[in-house]
Amino acid sequence: MKNPAIIGQSIPRLDAPSKVTGKAIYTDDMKLPGMLYGKLLRSPLAHARIKRIDVSKAKALPGVKDVIVGADTPGVKYGNWRLVPQSQDELPLAVDKVRFVGDEVAAVCALDPETAEKALGLIEVEYEELPAILSVEEATAEGAGLIHQESKGNVSLVRKIDYGDLDQMFAKADYVREDTFRVHPVQHAYMEPCSSLAQTEEGNRVTLWTSTQTPYIVQCLLASTLGLPENNVRVMKVQIGGGFGGKMELRPWEFCAAFMSLRTGRPVKFTLTRHDELAYGRRRHPMTIYSKVGFKKDGMLLAKDFQVMLDGGAYNAMGPTATFLCGTFGNMLYNYPAYRYFGRHVYTNKPPASAMRGFGAPQAAFAAETQMNMAAEELGIDPIDIRLMNAMQTGDVIPDVATISSCGFKESLEEVRRISGWDQKRKNKTPGKGLGIGCFSFISGGVFNWFNTKYNFSAAEVKVFEDGTAQLAVMACDIGQGPDTVLRQILAAELGIPIHKIRLISMDTACTPKADLGTWGSRVTLMNGNAIIEAAGKIKAMLRPVMFSELDLNQIHDLAFEDERVFVRANPKKGMDFAECVYKALRGREGEPLTARGYYTPRNKGLVSPAFSFGAQVAEVAVDQDTGQIQVEKMYTAHDCGVAINKMSVEGQLEGAIQMGLGYALMEDLVMDDQGRTLNTTFLDYKMPAAEDMPPGESVEIETYEPEGPFGAKEAGEGLAIPTAPAISHAVFEAVGYRCMETPITPEKVLRALGKIK
Amino acid sequence: MMMPHFTVHQPDSLEEALDLLGRHRSSVKVFCGGTDLLIKMRSGALSPDHLVSLTRVKGLRTISYAESDGLVIGGAARLAEVGKNAEVKKLYPALAHACSVMATVQIRNMGTVAGNLANAAPSGDTLAPLLAYGASLVAVERGGRRQIKLTDFFTGPGLNVLEPLEIIEAIRVPDPPPRCGSAYMRLSARSKVDIAAVGVAGFMNLDLDGKVIRCRLALASVAPTPVRCPEAEAMLEGQKPDDTLLAQAGAACVRACRPIDDVRATASYRRAMVQALAQRVLAKCYAQAAGGEA
Ligand SMILES: Cc1cc2nc3c(=O)[nH]c(=O)nc-3n(C[C@H](O)[C@H](O)[C@H](O)COP(=O)(O)OP(=O)(O)OC[C@H]3O[C@@H](n4cnc5c(N)ncnc54)[C@H](O)[C@@H]3O)c2cc1C
Repeated sequence: MKNPAIIGQSIPRLDAPSKVTGKAIYTDDMKLPGMLYGKLLRSPLAHARIKRIDVSKAKALPGVKDVIVGADTPGVKYGNWRLVPQSQDELPLAVDKVRFVGDEVAAVCALDPETAEKALGLIEVEYEELPAILSVEEATAEGAGLIHQESKGNVSLVRKIDYGDLDQMFAKADYVREDTFRVHPVQHAYMEPCSSLAQTEEGNRVTLWTSTQTPYIVQCLLASTLGLPENNVRVMKVQIGGGFGGKMELRPWEFCAAFMSLRTGRPVKFTLTRHDELAYGRRRHPMTIYSKVGFKKDGMLLAKDFQVMLDGGAYNAMGPTATFLCGTFGNMLYNYPAYRYFGRHVYTNKPPASAMRGFGAPQAAFAAETQMNMAAEELGIDPIDIRLMNAMQTGDVIPDVATISSCGFKESLEEVRRISGWDQKRKNKTPGKGLGIGCFSFISGGVFNWFNTKYNFSAAEVKVFEDGTAQLAVMACDIGQGPDTVLRQILAAELGIPIHKIRLISMDTACTPKADLGTWGSRVTLMNGNAIIEAAGKIKAMLRPVMFSELDLNQIHDLAFEDERVFVRANPKKGMDFAECVYKALRGREGEPLTARGYYTPRNKGLVSPAFSFGAQVAEVAVDQDTGQIQVEKMYTAHDCGVAINKMSVEGQLEGAIQMGLGYALMEDLVMDDQGRTLNTTFLDYKMPAAEDMPPGESVEIETYEPEGPFGAKEAGEGLAIPTAPAISHAVFEAVGYRCMETPITPEKVLRALGKIK
Repeated sequence: MMMPHFTVHQPDSLEEALDLLGRHRSSVKVFCGGTDLLIKMRSGALSPDHLVSLTRVKGLRTISYAESDGLVIGGAARLAEVGKNAEVKKLYPALAHACSVMATVQIRNMGTVAGNLANAAPSGDTLAPLLAYGASLVAVERGGRRQIKLTDFFTGPGLNVLEPLEIIEAIRVPDPPPRCGSAYMRLSARSKVDIAAVGVAGFMNLDLDGKVIRCRLALASVAPTPVRCPEAEAMLEGQKPDDTLLAQAGAACVRACRPIDDVRATASYRRAMVQALAQRVLAKCYAQAAGGEA
């Protein structure tokens, strides 16, 4: 099928000029008349009972307008898995107990931030300290204290996948290996620290401007925790400076801003600092991953037993979904006749881990891809050959999970082999240099509905006007990843009008169509794109009668919408301007505008996702054997994201993903002491790759056409963040023989492995 | 934290700057690029009511070189300017290198060498090269001027012998003799855009027979102040170095450092890196000196 010309174009982001010139408005830039500044008091202890809180001195401080503690709130627990109420384990402010250093205990709002800060210091909290449980091993040990009384042995959720005859397949295997991997926590480090501003109207209605990826989820959970009807809560955004999974739940400051605004009748704003984010914010799950895998001599995979403990921190957050997806990505890339997954989400007294770009997959892939490389080495098979032999293909079925409707994995492997010079470079090895490979697959949105929405997963409303312009309203949110541009490209392609003639209204729960589950799981382009196509189709259907009657067309004629014209496809001269056509269609409708809605909910698509992306990446590194320093010299990527709707946007995702993968592999780490306090809470000590650290890259897009995607598109947002760490790790092994089983890969670990330091 | 209110003064002359410092003596700081100072003010660690900026003081930004005087770096000369200066690049490559790889482009465009010294962070990147070159600085206050050898300047992390109302007017670096070589190497544990976890600077000068007349080695980030390596320097002076001796001297540098474990690197890694870098620095200095390069 031939796509309209605007599909696949590199159109610069429409929001880019305002962002790069500093003109874009973010929540913290907003000030409303009479606005109060909120601050949170957080627990200094990892685990303690609250015996007494006295806020009287804070309340008495001039300038302080309100102080609240858990007991002042309705005390309704929340969490994104509404379908499983016992998983909803969080309260906006702690009641009785604190469970991590940073757990929110009280909130203050005052006329200025300094007064609010001062008031925090006047709140007296008496704690009875409890033993802090800081690792999954301690948490699951016999007789360990319970962080949540309701949990069984501190395990909040178990996920199992089991198909094929595991024992029989392992018995058939010529080669079996067992390994344990440990992966560390990293943070999203989005540029915009969280900020929320609430305003009350008519007594009990609240508008919340907030830096979120999931406006609908925030609306629902905020309403339930405040005890208000859902419709009394309106969630909106201005610009959002990144999320990467860290802004997809209701957060305490969102509740506190709304609740205190209702109490004081004044707007209330909370903005976190970078210290707050690094010390107490959400992070990627550290995991302990045991993997046993069996092969035939020739490299054919037979079975895998994958057992994972996720270090979830003090609350579930998005941990249950990460537990689910980690299992899915333990076997996603290759055909396993038998596979068993046993994932446990474990509570510890640490800041909660949650979704982060890849959502359980980067960890699973680090273990699975590393193990694949270890097996290839021992079986004497080229790592790319062993993958080609077992690779997933279009039409393959993962029992009880999914059918792969498009798959460019083998092509990706072959292309990356070619562009990286894999074969020649492996033949002529230079000491201290190496090539390594890592692969990925990822979902294009989830099929699951643990949030239990009654609405469609995605919706779009299109209006067209007699001046030839259109308006698109969607609840989907652009948090920096680009849908404000890409979604307009999709509508422009459908209606045949230029992108700048489409006004976009996005993410306002009061006036964009219900609903959208938000920006996560790489779902927006596919799901919202499909909803837009459906809405545009309805608009076109409204315009058909005009064309047929005005031009006296035959029943067999087909219409085309291109270049701001509507015309007979077989006879392009026969047609009229789009604007004229809309004008004619509007006549006689008694002023009723031309509006249509479209929806999308994946159906009959298995348990996981309507479509999967695939890809392979090769890292080329040089290791300095005296200093252990690792220089990533080049990254080669070949990937299948279906049809790329905006090539520039896909390239941006790839570059950003490499930056994050590089940080995950080599630099970033949240370091904690034995009291559960995070030690590196500034960007001086939490090291992310900077521009100078970025390696050059080369990439190839393997174009497949995904039947379930808009114009054949699949995801390109998260999957690319998966392969970089295992590829670099493999390259380091090839360069100096150090195999990283416990991330990150640091110069010290390299030197220790080389016996150069003790 | 919000920054408290303060007044910035921008005098045109040194006299005026010194007067302003005197007038507001109870709560005043000298201010150059502000890349250290403003961060401390934002965090609440410092809260001076007055800042006396040196950026407009005439003549204070000059970088001049003459064979008789050596290099004179003005108290307000910026890191990037020093790093790009043709004479510095040719005659003082260790300093030029430090000034062009430290921090970030933006910080190098604002920050100054004097600020780097006055800030006295053990990780300061210009400190080790200037120590290796045997630099000194000229400090001025209303009472007069004094010259301070850099070896006597640092007293602890963030501490030095400057009086509160003293201004670093210039940094003086001796003219390099013939047959000398110098180098600075730094490692950060992770990103390239990072403060140094270990820095090593060296200077070596040979006689006509190829024997070491003088060697100075200085280490950054591995002790409460930057340190020299007297043992390693003594091993080399008077000797005609070969690979073994250079390696031994590099190893001896480890004994001059007192590193700590922190979130950036462990002490044992830092010690190993002092040795690795010192050996490379010495090899480079020697090759330059023997090759007749500056
Ligand atoms: C992002 C970032 C990265 C950085 N990276 C590095 C790095 O890699 N390596 C490194 O060494 N440093 C680094 N720094 C620290 C800083 O940039 C340097 O120390 C810089 O040289 C300071 O110079 P300044 O002119 O900005 O000093 P200011 O901030 O203006 O002053 C610093 C101190 O020196 C005093 N002072 C300044 N000038 C004089 C003078 N002429 N006489 C007397 N006292 C004076 C001030 O009173 C103040 O106490 C970094 C800073 C930032 C923000």
